[in-house]
Amino acid sequence: MFQTIAAIWAKYGYVYIQGIWGTLYIAAVTVLFGTLLGTLLSFARLSRFRIAQEAIRLYVWVLRGTPALLQIYFFYFFLPKYLPFELSDRTCIVMALVVNASAYVEEVIRAGIQAVDRGQTEAARSLGMTARHTMTRIILPQAIKNILPALGNEFIVMIKEASLASIFVIMEVTTAFKTVQSATFITIPTLMISGMIYLAMTTVLSGGMKLVERRMRRND
Amino acid sequence: MIDRTKKLIVVEDLHKSFGGLQVLRGVSQTICEGEVVSIIGASGSGKSTFLRCLNLLETPDSGRIIFDGQEITGKKVKIDAFRQQIGMVFQHFNVFPHLKVIDNITLAPVLEKHIDKEQARQTAEDLLRRVGLYDKRDEYPTRLSGGQKQRLAIVRALAMEPKVILFDEPTSALDPEMVKEVLDVIGELARSGMTILIVTHEMGFAKRVSDRVLFIDEGLIAEEGTPEELFEHTKTERCRDFLNKVLF
Repeated sequence: MFQTIAAIWAKYGYVYIQGIWGTLYIAAVTVLFGTLLGTLLSFARLSRFRIAQEAIRLYVWVLRGTPALLQIYFFYFFLPKYLPFELSDRTCIVMALVVNASAYVEEVIRAGIQAVDRGQTEAARSLGMTARHTMTRIILPQAIKNILPALGNEFIVMIKEASLASIFVIMEVTTAFKTVQSATFITIPTLMISGMIYLAMTTVLSGGMKLVERRMRRND
Repeated sequence: MIDRTKKLIVVEDLHKSFGGLQVLRGVSQTICEGEVVSIIGASGSGKSTFLRCLNLLETPDSGRIIFDGQEITGKKVKIDAFRQQIGMVFQHFNVFPHLKVIDNITLAPVLEKHIDKEQARQTAEDLLRRVGLYDKRDEYPTRLSGGQKQRLAIVRALAMEPKVILFDEPTSALDPEMVKEVLDVIGELARSGMTILIVTHEMGFAKRVSDRVLFIDEGLIAEEGTPEELFEHTKTERCRDFLNKVLF
């Protein structure tokens, strides 16, 4: 088994490398923009604007209540048809993943902020601190400790969900498996290589997150 | 002593409901500069809500609050500026766990009053010495006992140099052996001439340090007077009932 894997890697390693770059690209964009968009959404939802609150509630309800794959199909067929400019397949899929991720990130951040004791806000405001300072200096530094571990889990989900792009033959680690498998007709070893690559990526990521968390908890 | 002509807080006909429950049903009161006023009453009588209305942590449904000659209950009032002058100490301390003891104290003065960092630190260290927490200045609050946390919360409020401090049951969450150290600090503050409103169940303390005591019952000030008048010559049936039930 090990020899087969080594032989496949020697011959088709470059396909997997391409796959790794593809997954890293998709995951990085999803993590970055999904987190940004999700953060903005959570702030909007915690604001006083009733319409924004309701709109985001609906947004999260739809995106968390339907499969990511269905959402990708939707973006894949819908966006090129109605947008006035050209979009690559990969861009459509990445946009779907970003939108999907933002809904989960919104929930994580909102829950993290709301988990900070109300007394903290009351203490800060009673000292005469502005709402903005209360948020940036008192609530967020405490909320981040609730948010980070959950966000780390979301990042891992994002890496794995990038595999959905393989259905649309976008290059990433699962597509690499399919490519090599169809060239060699060898299934299990080629699959195992992809699996090990995923494991390596998620292990590195969760290790990194643990390190960050430990640094943050030093003062507790 | 107390200057009866200097009205610091004037409350007129304050009403507040939560849902269908009327918590305050028309409270009026004048607090003068330098006065120490204890607020007593049963749980749910509205005494904490009354206190929390004074710095608008709760928004009254109707009625007016005039602080130092200016109405704070009107629309378009910049409440942050007033809150800087109204300190508050909570039952559950609410110290900032992510900040060192010293930074708990200096944060608001530096951010909101634009006081020089070094000067704020000096003031904070002086305050910490006053309440015996100077040694703890670089610790995080998780390392403090309940009594120490509450003393920190008191000096954090003092650092803003407020004109009045509101205490909302400051010893109710403390272990019994820590009540005294906190009451001593409040007592010292009272003697120093600070205007104080304190919601408390510590009747002995209220009797000792107050200039005036308010008994709140079902959302109204049912009886008020000097500690002697209220505790020794109780006029109303409700207040007598209440006092009979509590330990001194």
